[in-house]
Amino acid sequence: MTLNAYHDIELTRSQGAALMGLALGMTDREFPTDLAREDTLDSGIQIEAFLRDVETRAFRIASVSVRDRDEALDIVQDAMISLVRRYARRPSEEWRPLFYRILQNRIRDSQRRRTVRSRVMSFFGGIDGDEYDPVAEAPAPQADNPLDQLVNADAMRALEQALFVLPARQREAFTMRNFEGLDVAQTAIAMGCTQGSVKTHYSRAVHRLRELLEEHGEEYRQ
Amino acid sequence: MSESNLQTDRDFEKRTKQIFDSSLGEIDAATRSRLTQARHRALQELAPSSAGRAFWNRPFAPAGALAAAVLVAILVLSQREPAIEPGLQAAAPADLEILLGEEELEMLEELEFYAWLEAQPEFASGDAEPSSAGDGVG
Repeated sequence: MTLNAYHDIELTRSQGAALMGLALGMTDREFPTDLAREDTLDSGIQIEAFLRDVETRAFRIASVSVRDRDEALDIVQDAMISLVRRYARRPSEEWRPLFYRILQNRIRDSQRRRTVRSRVMSFFGGIDGDEYDPVAEAPAPQADNPLDQLVNADAMRALEQALFVLPARQREAFTMRNFEGLDVAQTAIAMGCTQGSVKTHYSRAVHRLRELLEEHGEEYRQ
Repeated sequence: MSESNLQTDRDFEKRTKQIFDSSLGEIDAATRSRLTQARHRALQELAPSSAGRAFWNRPFAPAGALAAAVLVAILVLSQREPAIEPGLQAAAPADLEILLGEEELEMLEELEFYAWLEAQPEFASGDAEPSSAGDGVG
Protein backbone atom coordinates (compact mmCIF):
# COMPACT_ATOMS: atom_id res chain seq x y z
CA MET A 1 0.00 0.00 0.00
CA THR A 2 1.37 3.40 -0.89
CA LEU A 3 1.23 6.46 1.27
CA ASN A 4 -0.08 8.57 -1.60
CA ALA A 5 -2.23 10.80 0.58
CA TYR A 6 0.70 11.82 2.77
CA HIS A 7 3.66 11.32 0.49
CA ASP A 8 5.82 13.81 2.35
CA ILE A 9 6.69 11.09 4.86
CA GLU A 10 10.16 9.89 4.16
CA LEU A 11 10.22 6.67 6.11
CA THR A 12 10.89 3.18 4.92
CA ARG A 13 8.30 0.59 5.85
CA SER A 14 10.48 -0.91 8.54
CA GLN A 15 11.20 2.51 10.05
CA GLY A 16 7.51 3.30 9.96
CA ALA A 17 6.67 0.00 11.60
CA ALA A 18 9.21 0.57 14.34
CA LEU A 19 7.91 4.09 14.98
CA MET A 20 4.31 2.97 15.05
CA GLY A 21 5.13 0.15 17.42
CA LEU A 22 6.82 2.64 19.73
CA ALA A 23 4.00 5.15 19.41
CA LEU A 24 1.49 2.48 20.29
CA GLY A 25 3.58 1.21 23.18
CA MET A 26 3.56 -2.33 21.83
CA THR A 27 5.99 -5.15 22.17
CA ASP A 28 6.55 -7.51 19.26
CA ARG A 29 4.46 -10.14 20.99
CA GLU A 30 1.48 -7.82 21.35
CA PHE A 31 1.58 -6.69 17.78
CA PRO A 32 -0.68 -8.51 15.33
CA THR A 33 0.95 -10.65 12.69
CA ASP A 34 0.94 -10.92 8.90
CA LEU A 35 -1.83 -9.08 7.08
CA ALA A 36 -3.45 -7.70 10.21
CA ARG A 37 -0.11 -6.26 11.23
CA GLU A 38 0.46 -4.77 7.77
CA ASP A 39 -2.99 -3.17 7.77
CA THR A 40 -2.61 -1.78 11.25
CA LEU A 41 0.79 -0.35 10.38
CA ASP A 42 -0.42 1.21 7.15
CA SER A 43 -3.45 2.84 8.68
CA GLY A 44 -1.45 3.76 11.78
CA ILE A 45 1.30 5.49 9.80
CA GLN A 46 -1.21 7.30 7.62
CA ILE A 47 -3.45 8.44 10.40
CA GLU A 48 -0.46 9.58 12.45
CA ALA A 49 0.64 11.73 9.50
CA PHE A 50 -2.88 13.05 9.09
CA LEU A 51 -3.21 14.01 12.75
CA ARG A 52 0.21 15.66 12.71
CA ASP A 53 -0.86 17.62 9.65
CA VAL A 54 -4.13 18.94 11.09
CA GLU A 55 -3.40 19.30 14.79
CA THR A 56 -2.16 22.90 14.91
CA ARG A 57 -4.86 24.22 12.60
CA ALA A 58 -7.50 22.29 14.48
CA PHE A 59 -6.21 23.74 17.74
CA ARG A 60 -6.33 27.30 16.37
CA ILE A 61 -9.83 26.77 14.99
CA ALA A 62 -11.01 25.39 18.32
CA SER A 63 -9.30 28.28 20.12
CA VAL A 64 -11.10 30.82 17.95
CA SER A 65 -14.43 29.25 18.88
CA VAL A 66 -14.01 28.54 22.59
CA ARG A 67 -11.32 31.13 23.44
CA ASP A 68 -9.73 28.93 26.04
CA ARG A 69 -6.42 27.17 25.38
CA ASP A 70 -6.97 24.18 27.66
CA GLU A 71 -10.52 23.68 26.49
CA ALA A 72 -9.34 23.86 22.87
CA LEU A 73 -6.63 21.26 23.56
CA ASP A 74 -9.15 18.93 25.18
CA ILE A 75 -11.48 19.34 22.21
CA VAL A 76 -8.71 18.52 19.73
CA GLN A 77 -7.66 15.46 21.73
CA ASP A 78 -11.24 14.20 21.93
CA ALA A 79 -11.67 14.66 18.21
CA MET A 80 -8.42 12.80 17.47
CA ILE A 81 -9.36 9.89 19.72
CA SER A 82 -12.82 9.68 18.27
CA LEU A 83 -11.52 9.73 14.70
CA VAL A 84 -8.98 6.97 15.36
CA ARG A 85 -11.42 4.86 17.34
CA ARG A 86 -14.28 5.09 14.88
CA TYR A 87 -12.89 5.90 11.47
CA ALA A 88 -9.28 4.70 11.25
CA ARG A 89 -10.32 1.97 8.82
CA ARG A 90 -12.16 4.36 6.51
CA PRO A 91 -10.39 5.63 3.36
CA SER A 92 -7.91 8.35 4.30
CA GLU A 93 -9.55 10.92 2.02
CA GLU A 94 -12.63 10.78 4.28
CA TRP A 95 -10.69 11.59 7.43
CA ARG A 96 -10.49 15.35 7.03
CA PRO A 97 -14.23 16.11 6.78
CA LEU A 98 -14.99 13.47 9.43
CA PHE A 99 -12.38 14.89 11.78
CA TYR A 100 -13.72 18.41 11.40
CA ARG A 101 -17.26 17.21 11.88
CA ILE A 102 -16.25 15.64 15.19
CA LEU A 103 -14.27 18.75 16.11
CA GLN A 104 -17.21 21.05 15.40
CA ASN A 105 -19.53 18.83 17.44
CA ARG A 106 -17.12 18.99 20.36
CA ILE A 107 -16.89 22.77 20.00
CA ARG A 108 -20.68 23.07 20.04
CA ASP A 109 -20.90 20.85 23.13
CA SER A 110 -18.36 23.05 24.85
CA GLN A 111 -20.24 26.21 23.92
CA ARG A 112 -23.51 24.74 25.19
CA ARG A 113 -21.91 23.89 28.50
CA ARG A 114 -20.50 27.39 28.71
CA THR A 115 -23.89 28.94 27.95
CA VAL A 116 -25.52 26.90 30.70
CA ARG A 117 -22.74 27.88 33.13
CA SER A 118 -23.11 31.56 32.29
CA ARG A 119 -26.90 31.36 32.73
CA VAL A 120 -26.41 29.84 36.14
CA MET A 121 -23.84 32.49 37.00
CA SER A 122 -26.09 35.32 35.85
CA PHE A 123 -28.99 33.81 37.83
CA PHE A 124 -26.87 34.18 40.93
CA GLY A 125 -25.86 37.71 39.91
CA GLY A 126 -22.26 36.86 39.03
CA ILE A 127 -22.12 38.62 35.65
CA ASP A 128 -21.91 42.32 35.04
CA GLY A 129 -24.63 43.75 32.76
CA ASP A 130 -22.22 45.79 30.58
CA GLU A 131 -21.79 44.27 27.13
CA TYR A 132 -18.24 43.54 26.09
CA ASP A 133 -17.35 44.30 22.49
CA PRO A 134 -14.28 42.19 21.65
CA VAL A 135 -13.70 43.81 18.26
CA ALA A 136 -13.77 47.30 19.71
CA GLU A 137 -11.44 46.22 22.48
CA ALA A 138 -8.87 44.66 20.16
CA PRO A 139 -5.73 46.72 19.62
CA ALA A 140 -5.51 48.22 16.15
CA PRO A 141 -2.77 46.89 13.92
CA GLN A 142 0.15 49.24 13.26
CA ALA A 143 -0.59 51.24 10.11
CA ASP A 144 2.94 52.11 9.08
CA ASN A 145 4.27 48.67 8.12
CA PRO A 146 1.73 46.73 6.07
CA LEU A 147 3.96 43.76 5.23
CA ASP A 148 4.70 43.10 8.88
CA GLN A 149 1.07 43.63 9.77
CA LEU A 150 0.08 40.79 7.50
CA VAL A 151 1.78 38.30 9.71
CA ASN A 152 1.73 39.91 13.12
CA ALA A 153 -0.10 38.69 16.12
CA ASP A 154 -2.32 41.75 16.36
CA ALA A 155 -3.88 41.01 13.00
CA MET A 156 -4.66 37.47 14.05
CA ARG A 157 -6.02 38.64 17.36
CA ALA A 158 -8.35 41.05 15.59
CA LEU A 159 -9.44 38.32 13.20
CA GLU A 160 -10.07 35.93 16.08
CA GLN A 161 -12.15 38.49 17.89
CA ALA A 162 -14.15 39.28 14.79
CA LEU A 163 -14.74 35.58 14.21
CA PHE A 164 -15.92 35.21 17.77
CA VAL A 165 -18.79 37.61 17.23
CA LEU A 166 -20.04 35.79 14.13
CA PRO A 167 -22.95 33.35 14.40
CA ALA A 168 -21.59 29.85 15.05
CA ARG A 169 -22.51 28.41 11.64
CA GLN A 170 -20.87 31.29 9.78
CA ARG A 171 -17.75 30.87 11.88
CA GLU A 172 -17.69 27.13 11.18
CA ALA A 173 -18.06 27.66 7.45
CA PHE A 174 -15.36 30.32 7.39
CA THR A 175 -12.79 28.46 9.50
CA MET A 176 -13.19 25.23 7.59
CA ARG A 177 -13.27 26.75 4.11
CA ASN A 178 -10.70 29.46 4.62
CA PHE A 179 -8.35 28.24 7.37
CA GLU A 180 -8.49 24.52 6.75
CA GLY A 181 -9.04 24.74 2.99
CA LEU A 182 -11.92 22.24 2.82
CA ASP A 183 -13.92 22.44 -0.37
CA VAL A 184 -17.67 23.06 -0.32
CA ALA A 185 -18.56 19.35 -0.37
CA GLN A 186 -16.16 18.50 2.46
CA THR A 187 -17.38 21.45 4.50
CA ALA A 188 -20.96 20.30 4.00
CA ILE A 189 -20.02 16.88 5.41
CA ALA A 190 -18.18 18.49 8.31
CA MET A 191 -21.07 20.83 9.10
CA GLY A 192 -23.79 18.29 8.45
CA CYS A 193 -25.69 20.54 6.06
CA THR A 194 -26.18 21.06 2.32
CA GLN A 195 -23.58 22.58 0.04
CA GLY A 196 -25.96 25.47 -0.61
CA SER A 197 -26.05 26.26 3.11
CA VAL A 198 -22.27 26.17 3.26
CA LYS A 199 -22.06 28.73 0.44
CA THR A 200 -24.59 30.98 2.15
CA HIS A 201 -22.91 30.79 5.57
CA TYR A 202 -19.49 31.34 4.08
CA SER A 203 -20.53 34.31 1.95
CA ARG A 204 -22.23 35.99 4.91
CA ALA A 205 -19.20 35.30 7.07
CA VAL A 206 -16.85 36.94 4.57
CA HIS A 207 -19.00 40.06 4.31
CA ARG A 208 -19.51 40.38 8.03
CA LEU A 209 -15.82 39.89 8.72
CA ARG A 210 -14.92 42.50 6.15
CA GLU A 211 -17.26 44.97 7.82
CA LEU A 212 -15.88 44.22 11.27
CA LEU A 213 -12.26 44.34 10.25
CA GLU A 214 -12.52 47.35 7.98
CA GLU A 215 -13.77 49.26 10.98
CA HIS A 216 -10.85 47.96 12.90
CA GLY A 217 -7.92 49.13 10.82
CA GLU A 218 -6.03 49.39 7.57
CA GLU A 219 -4.85 45.85 7.69
CA TYR A 220 -7.97 44.33 6.13
CA ARG A 221 -9.06 47.32 4.01
CA GLN A 222 -8.90 46.96 0.27
CA MET B 1 -22.16 40.90 -7.27
CA SER B 2 -19.77 42.99 -9.37
CA GLU B 3 -16.40 41.74 -10.54
CA SER B 4 -14.56 44.23 -8.33
CA ASN B 5 -16.49 43.09 -5.27
CA LEU B 6 -15.63 39.49 -6.03
CA GLN B 7 -11.98 40.42 -6.37
CA THR B 8 -12.15 42.31 -3.07
CA ASP B 9 -13.62 39.26 -1.38
CA ARG B 10 -10.93 37.04 -2.86
CA ASP B 11 -8.18 39.38 -1.66
CA PHE B 12 -9.72 39.49 1.77
CA GLU B 13 -9.93 35.70 1.91
CA LYS B 14 -6.32 35.41 0.82
CA ARG B 15 -5.23 37.80 3.55
CA THR B 16 -7.12 36.09 6.32
CA LYS B 17 -5.65 32.75 5.23
CA GLN B 18 -2.13 34.21 5.26
CA ILE B 19 -2.64 35.69 8.70
CA PHE B 20 -4.02 32.43 10.02
CA ASP B 21 -1.14 30.41 8.55
CA SER B 22 1.45 32.77 10.05
CA SER B 23 -0.23 32.48 13.42
CA LEU B 24 0.40 28.73 13.40
CA GLY B 25 4.11 29.37 13.69
CA GLU B 26 3.51 31.31 16.88
CA ILE B 27 2.02 28.43 18.81
CA ASP B 28 4.19 27.98 21.88
CA ALA B 29 6.22 24.88 22.66
CA ALA B 30 4.05 23.85 25.59
CA THR B 31 0.94 23.80 23.41
CA ARG B 32 2.75 21.88 20.67
CA SER B 33 3.86 19.37 23.25
CA ARG B 34 0.27 18.95 24.48
CA LEU B 35 -0.85 18.41 20.88
CA THR B 36 1.81 15.74 20.39
CA GLN B 37 0.67 14.00 23.57
CA ALA B 38 -2.91 14.19 22.35
CA ARG B 39 -1.89 12.59 19.05
CA HIS B 40 -0.06 9.76 20.81
CA ARG B 41 -3.01 9.24 23.10
CA ALA B 42 -5.28 8.98 20.06
CA LEU B 43 -2.95 6.51 18.34
CA GLN B 44 -3.14 4.21 21.35
CA GLU B 45 -6.66 3.47 20.19
CA LEU B 46 -5.08 1.43 17.38
CA ALA B 47 -3.26 -0.84 19.80
CA PRO B 48 -4.68 -4.39 19.98
CA SER B 49 -5.16 -4.13 23.74
CA SER B 50 -7.46 -1.13 23.38
CA ALA B 51 -9.28 -2.80 20.51
CA GLY B 52 -9.76 -5.74 22.83
CA ARG B 53 -11.10 -3.47 25.55
CA ALA B 54 -13.54 -1.86 23.18
CA PHE B 55 -14.65 -5.30 22.00
CA TRP B 56 -15.32 -6.54 25.51
CA ASN B 57 -16.81 -3.28 26.70
CA ARG B 58 -19.45 -2.82 24.09
CA PRO B 59 -20.44 -5.48 21.60
CA PHE B 60 -20.36 -8.33 24.10
CA ALA B 61 -23.35 -7.21 26.06
CA PRO B 62 -25.71 -7.75 23.11
CA ALA B 63 -23.76 -10.86 22.07
CA GLY B 64 -24.21 -12.34 25.53
CA ALA B 65 -27.88 -11.51 25.46
CA LEU B 66 -28.17 -13.11 22.02
CA ALA B 67 -26.43 -16.28 23.19
CA ALA B 68 -28.77 -16.47 26.18
CA ALA B 69 -31.78 -15.88 23.93
CA VAL B 70 -30.70 -18.70 21.59
CA LEU B 71 -30.28 -21.10 24.50
CA VAL B 72 -33.65 -20.12 25.91
CA ALA B 73 -35.22 -20.70 22.50
CA ILE B 74 -33.59 -24.15 22.31
CA LEU B 75 -34.90 -25.00 25.77
CA VAL B 76 -38.40 -23.79 24.98
CA LEU B 77 -38.50 -25.70 21.69
CA SER B 78 -37.13 -28.80 23.31
CA GLN B 79 -40.02 -28.77 25.79
CA ARG B 80 -42.45 -29.27 22.92
CA GLU B 81 -40.87 -32.55 21.95
CA PRO B 82 -42.84 -35.51 23.33
CA ALA B 83 -39.89 -37.73 24.24
CA ILE B 84 -38.37 -35.49 26.87
CA GLU B 85 -37.50 -37.03 30.18
CA PRO B 86 -39.77 -35.76 32.96
CA GLY B 87 -36.81 -34.66 35.07
CA LEU B 88 -35.42 -32.49 32.34
CA GLN B 89 -38.80 -30.91 31.65
CA ALA B 90 -39.20 -30.08 35.29
CA ALA B 91 -35.78 -28.50 35.34
CA ALA B 92 -36.49 -26.15 32.41
CA PRO B 93 -37.96 -23.21 34.41
CA ALA B 94 -35.01 -23.41 36.79
CA ASP B 95 -32.60 -23.46 33.85
CA LEU B 96 -34.35 -20.43 32.44
CA GLU B 97 -33.87 -18.60 35.70
CA ILE B 98 -30.18 -19.42 35.68
CA LEU B 99 -29.78 -18.39 32.06
CA LEU B 100 -31.44 -15.07 32.66
CA GLY B 101 -29.17 -14.37 35.60
CA GLU B 102 -26.05 -12.25 35.32
CA GLU B 103 -23.72 -15.21 35.60
CA GLU B 104 -24.99 -17.08 32.54
CA LEU B 105 -21.79 -16.74 30.54
CA GLU B 106 -19.62 -17.89 33.42
CA MET B 107 -21.85 -20.90 33.91
CA LEU B 108 -21.62 -21.81 30.24
CA GLU B 109 -17.86 -21.80 30.47
CA GLU B 110 -18.04 -24.39 33.25
CA LEU B 111 -20.68 -26.71 31.83
CA GLU B 112 -18.47 -29.76 32.32
CA PHE B 113 -18.17 -28.97 36.01
CA TYR B 114 -21.94 -28.65 36.37
CA ALA B 115 -22.47 -31.93 34.48
CA TRP B 116 -20.03 -33.63 36.84
CA LEU B 117 -21.72 -32.02 39.83
CA GLU B 118 -25.12 -33.28 38.72
CA ALA B 119 -23.72 -36.78 38.29
CA GLN B 120 -22.66 -36.93 41.97
CA PRO B 121 -24.92 -39.33 43.90
CA GLU B 122 -25.78 -36.97 46.76
CA PHE B 123 -26.72 -34.22 44.30
CA ALA B 124 -28.63 -36.48 41.91
CA SER B 125 -30.68 -38.09 44.70
CA GLY B 126 -32.03 -34.66 45.58
CA ASP B 127 -32.18 -35.42 49.29
CA ALA B 128 -28.96 -33.71 50.34
CA GLU B 129 -29.87 -31.26 53.03
CA PRO B 130 -28.43 -27.76 52.76
CA SER B 131 -27.12 -27.87 56.28
CA SER B 132 -25.24 -31.13 55.81
CA ALA B 133 -23.88 -29.98 52.41
CA GLY B 134 -22.23 -27.06 54.10
CA ASP B 135 -20.88 -29.07 56.97
CA GLY B 136 -17.94 -30.59 55.23
CA VAL B 137 -15.56 -28.68 57.42
CA GLY B 138 -15.67 -29.21 61.16
